Amino acid sequence: MSAPRLDFQWEQAVVPVAPAPLVEPSRWGGIGRALAGAGLIAGGIAALSAVNFIADQFARGPVQGWATLGILGLGVVLLAGGVWRELRGLWSIRHTDVARAAFARSDLAKAKAEALRWAASVEQAAPLQPAIRDARSIEALAAILAPVQETLTAEAAGLGRAAAMQAFAMTAVSPSAGLDVVIFAWRGVRLVRQVAGLFGLRPGFAGTLSLLRRTLFDAATVGATDLAVDAAARALLSNPILQHVAGEAAGGAVAARRMLRLAAITAEGCRIGPPPR
Amino acid sequence: MSDLLDPFGLFRDAAYGAERLGRSLIGQERIRLAVTGLSRAGKTVFLTSLLANLLAAGRGLNTLDALGKAAGGRLHAVRVAPPGNEALPRFDVAGHLAALAADPPAWPPRTEDLSTLELVLEVRRQTDPVGLVSGVLGQRTVTLELLDYPGEWLLDLPMLRQDYAAWSAETLARLRRGPRAGIAAEFLAFIEALPAGMPAEESTVRRGAALYRDVLRACRDRLGFRFLQPGRLLNPGPRGETPLLWFFPLPGGAAGPLGRLLADRHAAYIAAQRAEFFEPYFRRFERQAVLVDVLGALHAGPEAFADTAEALAAIADALRYGGGWMDWLTGVGVQRVAFVATKADHVPERQRHALEALLGSLTGGPAQRAGAAGVSSSVHSMAAIRCTEDDVATLEGRPVAAVRGVLLESGKPAKVYPGDIPLKPPGPDYWAHGFFEMPEFQPPRFDAAGGHGVPHLGLDAVLAALIGDAL
Repeated sequence: MSAPRLDFQWEQAVVPVAPAPLVEPSRWGGIGRALAGAGLIAGGIAALSAVNFIADQFARGPVQGWATLGILGLGVVLLAGGVWRELRGLWSIRHTDVARAAFARSDLAKAKAEALRWAASVEQAAPLQPAIRDARSIEALAAILAPVQETLTAEAAGLGRAAAMQAFAMTAVSPSAGLDVVIFAWRGVRLVRQVAGLFGLRPGFAGTLSLLRRTLFDAATVGATDLAVDAAARALLSNPILQHVAGEAAGGAVAARRMLRLAAITAEGCRIGPPPR
Repeated sequence: MSDLLDPFGLFRDAAYGAERLGRSLIGQERIRLAVTGLSRAGKTVFLTSLLANLLAAGRGLNTLDALGKAAGGRLHAVRVAPPGNEALPRFDVAGHLAALAADPPAWPPRTEDLSTLELVLEVRRQTDPVGLVSGVLGQRTVTLELLDYPGEWLLDLPMLRQDYAAWSAETLARLRRGPRAGIAAEFLAFIEALPAGMPAEESTVRRGAALYRDVLRACRDRLGFRFLQPGRLLNPGPRGETPLLWFFPLPGGAAGPLGRLLADRHAAYIAAQRAEFFEPYFRRFERQAVLVDVLGALHAGPEAFADTAEALAAIADALRYGGGWMDWLTGVGVQRVAFVATKADHVPERQRHALEALLGSLTGGPAQRAGAAGVSSSVHSMAAIRCTEDDVATLEGRPVAAVRGVLLESGKPAKVYPGDIPLKPPGPDYWAHGFFEMPEFQPPRFDAAGGHGVPHLGLDAVLAALIGDAL
């Protein structure tokens, strides 16, 4: 009879006793310090100049002083509001990362919290909130989220097709290659924001940059979407009217294909649950 | 391996170096980790354990303590990268884990083909207190690209710089030494009997190649030797034997029609290995783990030990280190090397430092060259999967430190005393005692599907040395 195998109680031994603390909290690197210094100089000097200007205006007269204070105050409020909106947009995208990490490490509590927050922000997912609260496992939670995420992905593909048609047409009639790039960039950014909006994200400028970074550099996702994009591009561009009208069919077809891919990758980047197997 | 005779390689290196720099600036680094080692050193088991334990660490489990500390607790998540358009099979970590956890268990068979896998490690940024940078630039990711390949192919690395005549002379000198001479007697008699100017008859070539292959197999299986070339003759890969492998060393080198045919095949073999294996997969390694079964070589006798030392020196000499001016220009080259003595669980804890010291002696030359080239090198002892516990045995009436495990073949518990491990290559007195073959042990109990990793010794220290700085 065989002896039992050695048992090192490994499953118990590797459970962390307490959450691992960060050993090096907020150590600023060289670039961070330089940027902070530049920001402090620019902002500090602007604030000091504004205060001096307001004081000078008050010295001329109370009307001028209060008017200046009002204008500057309103400007600061609008500026702060814009910054706040940008940060909120960034935070909404960060929640997507937090949710995906929670799914990756099977952290049910965190994944549920993020799923509930997401469902509250997306109209099609709002009815799922009771089921999300009752989910008993990560797999069950992913299964609850999958159908609505597939629906949103399909809608994103529709947005991609519309953008692809526009890109095809605009590229075909555009007089120069430089203008093609501008047109494509503008339409591509708009498409990214549209798809992000489908998934409940409201990215500002910084948030859109963040999404663009993912779509451009997530090579694994790019590769995986190629097959689907190929099929969609062939279906879209096989229309004989399109082929007849577009003089530069090759350039337009490339732009259209890129739009389809951009929509697919953006949708993939905005999902909070694990990707479909 | 890149030199001025290969301008296309220089352009590829420069492009890869630029890509690497760009990726590091946006926090999307990619590290190619080469797991190098002679056959049966434990490369496949190392990769299996590395993947299982890293994935478990990504789920928050403390499977790699030293690596977690090196990363400052910033390792956030680990996932397997989805398949792209790779032309290589994926490393079957689930299959290997299942085989190890099965009843009866099975260690991975000899690797017969390349396989690859990528892990994506998400790491929190060090200087991002409000998440602003992460929001714009995204979480920092480190993609770890891993490669498994037959260890026999590694011995072709020194062949890349040799012509047929030089390779023949060196190989025949090796065959005529020590216990190889007895095993190679029939082959040596065959080639000595070939007349000068022998025509290039295929039957003669096939007979010579078959005899030479039998010699290599016997040296590997009966004597435990590893310095056996060409590697593909022992392990041809999934395509099996092809005419490209039908060559053998001749005393006269490339003289005569037969010599010229064999020299042509030798050159074609080198070109094929360079194009299909070394160039695509070895060219741009940033980190290298060189695995060595030092204990196995020690127990196989003085000739096998000397053979392992010679093979290790030849490989390390041929490996490329990122210290030359061309590497500085292109931004590629090896940054870190870890020399690892595997199967460290076969010796009790108090002797593991001796295993490290012995490996350090064997690799002193390569490690010094690496250091001179600005490459950080380290020496470790490690058991990728721990199969034994420390125990005490009685030898000639006195207690000695031993290890205890469950034998793979019989399933019975056994205590084994591995002998004293010398701190440096031993002298003749050490070999005066008889040798023994270390038995194979069963892997320990672990949950292949539960995702808790596998028990190991020292794997975290090796990973911390190799990739800790990048996290």
